[in-house]
Amino acid sequence: MTTPLKIESRIESRDTAVLGLAGEVDVANVAQVREAALELLARGVKRLVVDLSATEYMDSSGLGTLVGLLKRLKETGGEIAIAGARPRVRRLFEITGLKQVFALHDDVAAALKEVC
Amino acid sequence: MERVVLGQVELRIPRQAEFVRVARMTACALAAQLDFTYDVVKDIELAVAEACTNAIEHGVPRAAAQAARAASDAGRSLAAEERYDEIVVRFITHPEQLAVEVIDRGQGFDPEELGADEEAVGGLGLMVIRQVMDEVHIECTAEAGTCVRMIKHRARE
Repeated sequence: MTTPLKIESRIESRDTAVLGLAGEVDVANVAQVREAALELLARGVKRLVVDLSATEYMDSSGLGTLVGLLKRLKETGGEIAIAGARPRVRRLFEITGLKQVFALHDDVAAALKEVC
Repeated sequence: MERVVLGQVELRIPRQAEFVRVARMTACALAAQLDFTYDVVKDIELAVAEACTNAIEHGVPRAAAQAARAASDAGRSLAAEERYDEIVVRFITHPEQLAVEVIDRGQGFDPEELGADEEAVGGLGLMVIRQVMDEVHIECTAEAGTCVRMIKHRARE
């Protein structure tokens, strides 16, 4: 069975936030992820940690959204870091070469250190 | 020499994102039957999802996709001439491999045109499919649409 997506966003400080994605990110629900992230950016967030520690499945639609966020944040001098990706999701970054583009960290604390 | 076919399963799913999960679950069930390892089962699941997503995103003319969105935004049903086609996902199990065909009977897409833009899901999706499957063949014709044929071999013991 597939697991429904749960999105949690948390403002850490004035321009820093953590976006947690639990469950499965796929083509059917990726628009919700994009919407939640853009809402944070609209609130002035420039440093974003995407917590994938509870993400059980992600495909290229999720990855494409993260690439879009990376581009937007870089344009405004912001940062994005990935935290806690499980082996299957980490593999997706590896086989697409995006492991070299995104900073992958073991947990949210390490990712926050990177972006702040 | 013809390959021995253990079984063939054909799904016809509406061209809607929500139904990609049905294809994913079927892929997992059939791959597990062939005793692929967990990681390979998950790779096959991913490849099937990517091929179905490409068929949804690129398999119909842009105008048809826009018409569907406009109808959805306006809260109305699609007129008959605007209706999306279906996607056929065919799984063929052999003793030594699993073959999956994702057939989009819409307009078809040109894999070269999906380009290398990282944000373009189609380009990333094809990259994923090519990385996780052993063989990938793509045939596009204006008449028959697009067929993405993917094969995963069972590891020899």
